[in-house]
Amino acid sequence: MSFHHLDQFAHTASPVTRMPPAGRIVGTVGLALVAATLPAGAWLPLGVLVALSCTLFALARVPPDVALVRLAWPLGVVLIASATLLVMVPGPALVRLGPLTVTAPGADRFATVMARAMVALLPAVLLVSTTSFPELLHGLRALRVPGAVATALGLAYRFLYLTLDELERLQRAARSRNAGHGAARRRHLLVAVTAATLGRSLARGERTHDAMLARGFAGTLPLLHVSPWTPQAAIELAMLLTVAAAVAVQARVG
Amino acid sequence: MTAVVELRDVAYAYPDGTAALVHATCTIGAGERVALLGPTGAGKSTLLQLLNGLLRPTTGSVTICGLPVDDATVAEVRRRVGLVFQDPDDQLFLPTLLEDVAFGPLNAGATREDAAARAHAVLDALGLARAHDRAAHHLSGGERRLAALATVLVSEPDLLVLDEPSGDLDARSRRRLRDILQERREAVLVATHDLDLVRGVCHRALVLVGGTLVYDGPLETLLGDRDQLERFGLAA
Repeated sequence: MSFHHLDQFAHTASPVTRMPPAGRIVGTVGLALVAATLPAGAWLPLGVLVALSCTLFALARVPPDVALVRLAWPLGVVLIASATLLVMVPGPALVRLGPLTVTAPGADRFATVMARAMVALLPAVLLVSTTSFPELLHGLRALRVPGAVATALGLAYRFLYLTLDELERLQRAARSRNAGHGAARRRHLLVAVTAATLGRSLARGERTHDAMLARGFAGTLPLLHVSPWTPQAAIELAMLLTVAAAVAVQARVG
Repeated sequence: MTAVVELRDVAYAYPDGTAALVHATCTIGAGERVALLGPTGAGKSTLLQLLNGLLRPTTGSVTICGLPVDDATVAEVRRRVGLVFQDPDDQLFLPTLLEDVAFGPLNAGATREDAAARAHAVLDALGLARAHDRAAHHLSGGERRLAALATVLVSEPDLLVLDEPSGDLDARSRRRLRDILQERREAVLVATHDLDLVRGVCHRALVLVGGTLVYDGPLETLLGDRDQLERFGLAA
């Protein structure tokens, strides 16, 4: 299995990992919501939230380079999706790039969207870096996310690895027989391997259902864990949310 | 001896009409350790699934600990028959090992605390205590086999049924599995091609060929009869 694990800092002792997973999820969503609802050009509050996130990264002992690499991918998607704002928002011209004109309000909106996205994504990156998937599931269950959703996520997590393993094995077997030379053949190989993996996954699904029935499954997945809340964790989360709320209020009032 | 399993004239045909099992009759007593042998496609896995109520016989009857396997009894039958599947990845489907092992007791109505305590105890007994919070894909092949075994041992079944349990195990893991099976007190039925494994575990053998039970007797007698092993397609 060559799949890289995102949660490599989940076992690092820190105030972040000591907080129950539900608290980490609430904190992440809270910061993301505050960031997403800040008015355009609220640079100081955005800066405060970035500083807050960086402090949390430092507390969790996640190195900055790891954070930046993990931030780059989703931020790249936001960049591509919002680049049109530069030229689509009407207003005085800032720069001319051939037939396209970057407007001042467009640049302001684009910069705000990127800053908001970065501030919203930073805690999300911290969450997945410091929380194992089982912990995330426990957190979701503790937050009363419907059992079927949490269960489906849990099964998907488990079978994602099996499916990736299956895919790797099939690709290796195909390559060992010199399959996939040339772009057209590579595409053909990918389609064939994907179809085979899908077929095998469906068969595995049936076998797993049999294995569940064999151990008394009757349609409802019972839960083993309920995440405990300690007063300290509740206070820490309340403080984090208070700071985020204060930033949001300041951005609107000030 | 109390019968844990009673098969009476059991036949099973798949929906396409393929006969997987033909007029099988046998009894397995409490505490007996039986090897189920036969070439690939002989009907071994079908027989195992009939014991757990996953399949129902086309004709004949299956009785587990005096309970005829039907809709009314299938939940109790599944508690009494612990079935370990051929591929542990089919059996380990939850995010952590502890949750997987606790799954059976929770389904049977155990409290969370009781299910967790029992799961911890079984994992400890099998040497997997440290892996309780890991996902199955973080375990070695041998650990996954033991983990799959733990998922059924935790329910304290009257009959332990294993489908090709030594498939991809190295020598050390195979020895460990054999030691564990030797220590079991419940009845054990092992479907396998691994004659070395069952030699140290089982005293009796059932041989299926083409869906028909062709041998029911002492394992040592069978293993000592080269001609018979050849005829049943079991000789290496």
